Amino acid sequence: MTPDPQAARTSLERMRVVKNVQLTEGVGLVVFDAPRIARQVRPGQFIHLRIARDAAFILRRPFSVHRVRGDLIEIVYQVLGVGTRALSLAAPGEVMDAIGPLGTGWDVPDDVTHALLVAGGLGAAPLGMLAEELSAHGVAVSVALGAPTGERLVGRELFESVARRVVLCTDDGTVGRAGFVTAVVDALLVADRPDIVCACGPEAMARTVCEKASAAGVPCRVSLERLMACGVGACLSCVVSTRTGQKRACIDGPVFWADDVVWESVDASCWRGQG
Amino acid sequence: MGVRRCIVLAWTGVSMDVDMTVEVGPLTLRSPVVTASGTFGSGREYADFVDLTRLGAVVTKGVSWDAWPGNPGPRIAETASGMLNSIGLQNPGVEAFIESDLAWLATQDVPVIVNVAGHTVAEYVAVAERLSAESSVAALELNISCPNVDEGGLAFGTTCKAAAEVTRAVRAATGLPLIVKLSPNVTDVSEIARAMEAEGADAVSLINTLLGMSIDTVTWRPRLARTVGGLSGPAIKPVALRMVWQVASRVGIPVIGMGGIMSAEDAVEFMLAGACAVAVGTANFVDPAATMKITDGLESYCRQRDIPRVADLTGAIVAQRTGER
Ligand SMILES: Cc1cc2nc3c(=O)[nH]c(=O)nc-3n(C[C@H](O)[C@H](O)[C@H](O)COP(=O)(O)OP(=O)(O)OC[C@H]3O[C@@H](n4cnc5c(N)ncnc54)[C@H](O)[C@@H]3O)c2cc1C
Ligand SMILES: Cc1cc2nc3c(=O)[nH]c(=O)nc-3n(C[C@H](O)[C@H](O)[C@H](O)COP(=O)(O)O)c2cc1C
Ligand code: FES
Repeated sequence: MTPDPQAARTSLERMRVVKNVQLTEGVGLVVFDAPRIARQVRPGQFIHLRIARDAAFILRRPFSVHRVRGDLIEIVYQVLGVGTRALSLAAPGEVMDAIGPLGTGWDVPDDVTHALLVAGGLGAAPLGMLAEELSAHGVAVSVALGAPTGERLVGRELFESVARRVVLCTDDGTVGRAGFVTAVVDALLVADRPDIVCACGPEAMARTVCEKASAAGVPCRVSLERLMACGVGACLSCVVSTRTGQKRACIDGPVFWADDVVWESVDASCWRGQG
Repeated sequence: MGVRRCIVLAWTGVSMDVDMTVEVGPLTLRSPVVTASGTFGSGREYADFVDLTRLGAVVTKGVSWDAWPGNPGPRIAETASGMLNSIGLQNPGVEAFIESDLAWLATQDVPVIVNVAGHTVAEYVAVAERLSAESSVAALELNISCPNVDEGGLAFGTTCKAAAEVTRAVRAATGLPLIVKLSPNVTDVSEIARAMEAEGADAVSLINTLLGMSIDTVTWRPRLARTVGGLSGPAIKPVALRMVWQVASRVGIPVIGMGGIMSAEDAVEFMLAGACAVAVGTANFVDPAATMKITDGLESYCRQRDIPRVADLTGAIVAQRTGER
């Protein structure tokens, strides 16, 4: 759970697509053969993926590593625009390069005994590896997983296989409780007495979770998203306002201590807040 | 003949050494490839990917007197073959810059060119004076695309008068080589370049980003929080190349060319158009090792064509027989 010094040096890895499938309408899973990243990545870190070359779009796209299996890394992605559409068309055997692993991980303190993971939609992507790793270390894991509809409950099987408790919420009530995932957080904070909360999802949702954790006096880690150009801390396109100044989501984040985040200035720069 | 000699060299296993050094006014750089301000951090961010000692220079992000918070987000928007940015020159101020970024760069074996920003002439002068006291600074690059607070926010670089005023004041305040970075958002960039030459600039660099915008058709809002921003990347290369060519043919001081350089061939084009050196910006985001690949590519371009010195490319464009030059 503590940072691996080997991971400190970032580099480029050429990765072969092993598998690329649609999980549900608009959500895909791509598996890359990426031995170095697979070895180095910590839960919550991301890769900066070059999806297409010689195309009209040139910038890389950041994606969290959802799960690692041996030399393979898994990415769950939502098809939103030109980049993720191109990604959804990538065939097995195709080679892409990625910078990574990048960013701070969840870096959950070693003395934690019970963790509550709260995910909204694709926010579940960076929490998969964390749930696995925590439970492997004997940490009791509770998960609150929300999505617009049952089919979009990303990582459901993974969480159900490793967590002590999984509470599912859907906006349309097709699976689990009807309503937002934030509605179950208070009850879980009381019932499971977690000593840490880890949240990721639409910014409004993540903020609500952080406020609830703070009110309950439970430390909270939150993963925030920003548009990213360089991914390595050079361009300042990804800043997040914190109590100690402006931080770069790509290298000082994407995971922050919730109490450090100055939410007032965290606004429309999050797409999950728009959609 | 050149081709034949090249084949013989390859056959005998002897490869010609290409002299990669270039002169940019008073500066001698070991390579014509430098970084474009604001796209390379302080260099430290790319140290895992790039051998900094192989760069002609590291050009830092813009540095002002006080810390500037920069603009609200979203600060970038990708557009066809390029990107818009409105970072807003976020920087920690010159003292903090000297303590952290410059201190680190001073330990690296690479010339440091500091990009200087200001909202007033006095601020530019103060930053330039402060940096002149630092032995690790090889040159200053004056970013005159900053909004001029005294003139209602219009960029200094958009009028000859304001550009000349700030360059004159900084020239008087520093003994360091002075490069003035030109804004392309003007009617005649070579007119500004000539004014900079007259004020004692040692070189000019161009182009800074082109003003542009983009609108989200779902929300109907501009995709940048500040509505407009600077366009960079391959989309601007033809415009940048034209401007470099125009300026290089009208001034006597060296020109550092940039704007959408992604490959060695792009760099060759800028040098043929008259640039002594080239800066790589947005390409770093696409490939963090872009500067190294461009350096290697330039060297092999010259070797394959039997060009002994990369500097020989500068201004070597062959005029069209029917065209005007
Ligand atoms: C650290 C990090 C981890 C991420 N992990 C995942 C993940 O595991 N799975 C996943 O599906 N997505 C993830 N994302 C978001 C993902 O990077 C974007 O969805 C992707 O870049 C969209 O690319 P596109 O070309 O399809 O969309 P574009 O055509 O570029 O944009 C479509 C719309 O989405 C917005 N947008 C695009 N990228 C981002 C972004 N990074 N942040 C905010 N808004 C954006 C645009 O402004 C536009 O409105 C992550 C983002 C970050 C910063
Ligand atoms: C994110 C970003 C930040 C930049 N910051 C600065 C800056 O601080 N000072 C400056 O003079 N130019 C700045 N520029 C302009 C670049 O140095 C360069 O002139 C321009 O991007 C064109 O080159 P390119 O197409 O290779 O990126 C910035 C460009 C980008 C994309
Ligand atoms: S993406 Fe460039 S600084 Fe974070």
